[in-house]
Amino acid sequence: MLRLEAATTLGALTLDVALEAPAGRCLALAGPSGAGKSTILRVAAGLLRPQRGHVALAGTVWLDTARGVDVPAEQRRCGFVFQDYALFGHLTAADNVAYALPRRGRRRDRRARAVALLDRFGVGGLADARPATLSGGERQRVAIARALALDPAVLLLDEPLSALDATTRGAAARELAAVLRDAGVPTLLVTHDFAEAALLGDEVAIVDRGAIVQRDTAAALAARPASAFVADFSGAVVLTGVAAPAADGLTRLALDGGGSVVSTDAATGPAAASVFPWEITLETARAASTGPPGGASARNHLDAEIVSLTEVGNRVRVGLLASQPLAAEITAGARRALDLRPGQRVVATWKAAATRLSAR
Amino acid sequence: MRSGRAFRAALALALALALGFLLLPVVAIFVDTDPGTLLSALDDPSARDALRLSLECTLAALAIVVVVGTPAAYLLATRRFRGRATIATLLELPLVLPPAVAGIALLAALGPEGLLGGAVAGAGLRLVLSTAGVIVALTFVSAPFYLRQAQAAFAAVDPRWLDASRTLGAGELRTWLRVAVPAARPGLVTGLALAWGRAVGEFGATLMFAGSFRGVTQTVPLAIYERFSTDFTGALALSAVLVVVSAAVLLTAKLLAGPEPAAASRAAA
Amino acid sequence: MRRRLRAGAVIAAAAAATALAGCGGDGASAGDGAVRVSAAASLRTAFTELGAALARDGGAAPAFSFAGSDVLAAQIRQGARPDVYAAADEALPSDLHRRGLLDPPRVFATNELVAAVPAERRDLRSLADLGRAGVTIAVGAPAVPVGAYTHTVLAHLPAAERSALQRNVRSTEPDVGGIVGKLTEGAVDAGFVYRSDVRASAGTLRAIPLPRAARPVIRYAAGVVRGAPRRAAAQRFLDALTGPAGRRALRAAGFGVPAR
Repeated sequence: MLRLEAATTLGALTLDVALEAPAGRCLALAGPSGAGKSTILRVAAGLLRPQRGHVALAGTVWLDTARGVDVPAEQRRCGFVFQDYALFGHLTAADNVAYALPRRGRRRDRRARAVALLDRFGVGGLADARPATLSGGERQRVAIARALALDPAVLLLDEPLSALDATTRGAAARELAAVLRDAGVPTLLVTHDFAEAALLGDEVAIVDRGAIVQRDTAAALAARPASAFVADFSGAVVLTGVAAPAADGLTRLALDGGGSVVSTDAATGPAAASVFPWEITLETARAASTGPPGGASARNHLDAEIVSLTEVGNRVRVGLLASQPLAAEITAGARRALDLRPGQRVVATWKAAATRLSAR
Repeated sequence: MRSGRAFRAALALALALALGFLLLPVVAIFVDTDPGTLLSALDDPSARDALRLSLECTLAALAIVVVVGTPAAYLLATRRFRGRATIATLLELPLVLPPAVAGIALLAALGPEGLLGGAVAGAGLRLVLSTAGVIVALTFVSAPFYLRQAQAAFAAVDPRWLDASRTLGAGELRTWLRVAVPAARPGLVTGLALAWGRAVGEFGATLMFAGSFRGVTQTVPLAIYERFSTDFTGALALSAVLVVVSAAVLLTAKLLAGPEPAAASRAAA
Repeated sequence: MRRRLRAGAVIAAAAAATALAGCGGDGASAGDGAVRVSAAASLRTAFTELGAALARDGGAAPAFSFAGSDVLAAQIRQGARPDVYAAADEALPSDLHRRGLLDPPRVFATNELVAAVPAERRDLRSLADLGRAGVTIAVGAPAVPVGAYTHTVLAHLPAAERSALQRNVRSTEPDVGGIVGKLTEGAVDAGFVYRSDVRASAGTLRAIPLPRAARPVIRYAAGVVRGAPRRAAAQRFLDALTGPAGRRALRAAGFGVPAR
């Protein structure tokens, strides 16, 4: 279990947070840029000393400003994957990975271990390449291999997917999720993309202007946002399933747990569909049972049960459960007009054109 | 279009002028006398003494500059502290001092009547009129060239590389040696080449501070000056050797610096 | 269209103004401007004083270039054309005259070579003292007149004294100014300079006279450079140098002057 408390002022930012991440679980820190997410990672790694703070892993105290304890970064064994990866340009991929290995034993053995680690991520053939000659996705994998070579006690990931293009990102996300599961250590992941946080994090903490405003599972955040800010930020609803081409050039995603949605995006195999809550219309069962709506063009309909209703200003977030959790956002007036209550069955409707697919 | 062509022609003309102006004196050194006369002028033992002295003193000065200057430049480049900009400017001061002024300054500081003259004598050192004094003068005038380049080179190293190195288990010293210095190498080598050029050509400060005595303090520039009036061929020969050695140093520096980083990443795209 | 005409008029006016301004002052046309004199380093004090006197009398002060006489001669051989060349010996001007680069030179001053020490050094009183172990001496380089004179002096000394002194030489300076500088800074214990330099030091240096038999004849000669742009003005300078104003300045600086 990694425990972190930090309070400090850096220029215009005043940070004051407290969090913990259990072993084997990933806490995603999501928020807009400048919110202080990367600062939290740097405090955890020992690269930044806050004015007041306490960082401990299991029983070991890494930082205690009150007692003057500050374990240097090089002794903390934090595997840090930086934004843009920070691979050493003057070393080959294998040398980059070997940099983290203990300096005992023969060079040949260290190199063999480095290449084996690169193999695990499918880039063993690039062992002697310089980072400048690698693609974004290959660099990302080398960076992760390097962080894992440390046999880290904690994993810290700063926007691990943001430097990748859209096509690579999906596969990389899937691989990364598997890596995090296998590593079995507490993980902090920073991202400005809520969908990425939802995909990779077991829990998501929304960070805004130096404070954690809400922390919960992604679905709960989308369904029960604590403020308009969280509501706006934790926009996307993510539904997972298996995609296959369908009629009319559309793609049908067979949802895990039942049901299906269609999208104008193309994908095959395991994929995730995301849609913004404010694009989802709710129809009460009575209206839906009169048959297909005569003139409406929306192609996606999911039967769901209302789980929660959260007022956010003049809007209402409706937490729903179909075969997977999702959330819709409607006006307060509409909620009153439809007289929506928890436990009620509704049909969530939205357009195929508003559904984004990404490989997973 | 017409204006574009005229502009490009003007650019080419400017380059040709610069090239011609800079190369002509160098070429003239070799063309003015035939190679045989040049080589035989080098048989003169005092010429060989001057060459040996110049090489030894320049190497010693550069060794001091690198050993002391590299960590200093790293500190300036990577840490923020009060007065940093002032210190950086002060370190550049010898750059704008005319060599004669540098010589006088060194005398005023380290000469027998200078500020630290007593301390120098007390330590048993004799700087004025000695080879050690030559090394001091060369170090003084060439250090700022290296410091400026080294500082810029270290500042250009991605700070995240240094952070990454620390998270991967390397302490500050190991990070400096294994990441910062190799990453800054092209800039460091360029600084070294510039410092070399300045040191090997130093005249005024050496003459004022260390004097001119064959085998002890008479470096090549001083030897050339002494020969100028009576043995012009000898002066030419020494100049030619200096040109060749400096060209060799510059070439080696270019090779050691490695390919330009920008070119490497362009190749990847 | 009108704007372009206006711009053109402004540019033309500016060019005209610049050209007019360039016409005044010391233009580049031959015959105008200050006389350029290349003179031995030891003449600095005397010539500067002479230049000031000439300026006071309403003429233009000459522009001086002081360096080792041998370097100045080499420059003239390589094509430099100052108007007047004044050296610390006769040999260099005669050589230039033989090569057709200088009008017949005239002797205008004499000097004496001495060994100089800092005035406060009570322990250095004679040449023998200068030969003691640990004493450091600066001399002129062999090609510069002051160095050649020193060499002559040493050749006339007994062998033991000569080698003792030579052992103590630590610097061969390109001109006498360098020797004086080293003496004043305390960098050397003694130096072979001209008596005029000791005079100019205003008490900082003390002269140790050399044995009469060893004293070289030091005669300074000067001439108008052939092909120089300001011949008339150059001749006037030389006349002033050998006239009352020049003799006054030279004597004040510690030189001797030839009989009229």
